[in-house]
Amino acid sequence: MTAQTSLGQRVRHLLGQQVLAGIGSRLMPYLYLAPALFFIGLFVLWPVARAFYNSLYDGNLLFPYREYVGPQRYVDLLTNPRFHQILIQSAYYLALMLAGVFALPILLALLTLNVTPREVGFFQSVFFLPTVIAANIAVSVWIWFYNPTGGLFNTVIKALGIEPVVWLRNKDTVIPAVALVAIWKQFGFHYLLALAGLKSISTDLTEAAAVDGANNRTIMRRIILPLFGPTALFLLVITLIQGLEFTFVPIEVLTRGGPAGASSNLVYSIYQEGFRTFRVGLASAQSVVLIALFGGLAYVQYRMLERNVQYER
Amino acid sequence: MNASAWERFVSRTILLLALLVVVTPLVYLVGLSFKVPEGIFSNPMVPFSWPLDLTNYRNVLRQMDVPKFFLNSLIYAGGVTLGQLLLAIPAAFAFSYYNFRFKNLLMSAVLISLIVPFVVTYVPNYLLLARWGLLNTLPGMIIPMLGISVGFGIFLLRQSFQTFPKEVFDAAHIDGANSWQVLWRVLVPSSWSPIVSVAIYIFIITWNRFIWPLLVGGGDPSSYTMTVAVDIYYANPESGANWGNLMAASVVSTLPIMALYIALRRQILRTFTEGAVKG
Repeated sequence: MTAQTSLGQRVRHLLGQQVLAGIGSRLMPYLYLAPALFFIGLFVLWPVARAFYNSLYDGNLLFPYREYVGPQRYVDLLTNPRFHQILIQSAYYLALMLAGVFALPILLALLTLNVTPREVGFFQSVFFLPTVIAANIAVSVWIWFYNPTGGLFNTVIKALGIEPVVWLRNKDTVIPAVALVAIWKQFGFHYLLALAGLKSISTDLTEAAAVDGANNRTIMRRIILPLFGPTALFLLVITLIQGLEFTFVPIEVLTRGGPAGASSNLVYSIYQEGFRTFRVGLASAQSVVLIALFGGLAYVQYRMLERNVQYER
Repeated sequence: MNASAWERFVSRTILLLALLVVVTPLVYLVGLSFKVPEGIFSNPMVPFSWPLDLTNYRNVLRQMDVPKFFLNSLIYAGGVTLGQLLLAIPAAFAFSYYNFRFKNLLMSAVLISLIVPFVVTYVPNYLLLARWGLLNTLPGMIIPMLGISVGFGIFLLRQSFQTFPKEVFDAAHIDGANSWQVLWRVLVPSSWSPIVSVAIYIFIITWNRFIWPLLVGGGDPSSYTMTVAVDIYYANPESGANWGNLMAASVVSTLPIMALYIALRRQILRTFTEGAVKG
């Protein structure tokens, strides 16, 4: 206790003095950073470099460097019709994710502006529930929903007089069925972010506009939507970059990419080639394609993060 | 913005409908776990059957080594949380407190690590763990995670450390404290609340991870986490796609996170928001 009071007194005494630069040697910041950067380098940045290197070899998980293949790997991959199929399916997934975890959360967050603050807290907490549960566990109940004979969906559509559907074994329904689960899991999180973006728009502005005689539609169009722009852009970018990752666990739990690869996508395919068929080189080459395709978007996200860093100063 | 009564009614109705869609699977998750095993498909439209039946829970506790897997999850999530904090706190301190050469470059490395898709790192890290003989061990599961998402902690803590009045550091320094003591005796005790928030965030995310613990620990029951155990239990022919059992196992494995969420909802929602905006 006494140490603290004496510290407090000295704080008052020294307030405003700049002696910061004197603390520690010039090496200190590097020593504080070294452990974290070592782990980041070893387990995140180095693996990215390894992916490039590994993609040039043929081998399996036990012997990844059995044979040098070189750039021919990419020629083979990019001309492979099965890989084209995976890219098309990835685009299909992303389109569904854009509707479900970009457009829908923003729309519902805008509607939330019309209800009382107490209700906002309630909706926020409940919508977030699926996000806070482990993905494979949250997804497990959907296996039962999609069960062809006694599951909920077929029971409902049979009651409506429609032919039952084998949701997860049918090439035409499997991607929407899996995407729906991924959307359900991720929706609440994006709703939370959209709502936080809307709430950060000062009510002073909207109230001042209302006093000046602006109607609700004008306020929405001229004030709320423009100021919401950065949040919307952020949601758009993370949906595009992580959209395929959101579908990863639902695919693994519901279909394992089946039937006959019809529900796979680029992210799931990397995992499958690496750990199911053990073709490390192929998995690595697909990783490189993933990085190439999303690198541009990742750069946009990086710039947004960087700007955030600067705003804090 | 003042909505008319009609707008308010429409908004509320649409939100309640969305709420129904979001909640229904969770209601079934809990409801099916309390149905008698034979009756799981008997009345699909009604999630609960009365009276509640505990057979599924008895089966799960008998067939699955719940205490063991629970402990594994606790060690895994706790180890990652503690390790990331021990790495992130000094790093955030350095970024928020010092000016030094390559500061921007090193910060960029942290930011980039947050953007790299997780799936790209699986194979190289798996090969590394295999070489070190750490597959199917909890340390093998924990150690790479100390690099993979430590950036979040650095990011979030850095921001709160920056709001700390620098004069207090100066005073402590004049008192003869070195920067290490300033960090652990002054900054950390007075930043307790943001540190706990970040800890809860890391803990929840890590507890919920599935693919990574499956890859590293899925080969040996001694290293199953709860999420992995539930998945393998479901695939196990002995439990025979017994939905009730699967749901009961799911409910059991989710309880600690649910308890955390219900107790600290506001704090958790805030930290998740900040974590996302920052990366």
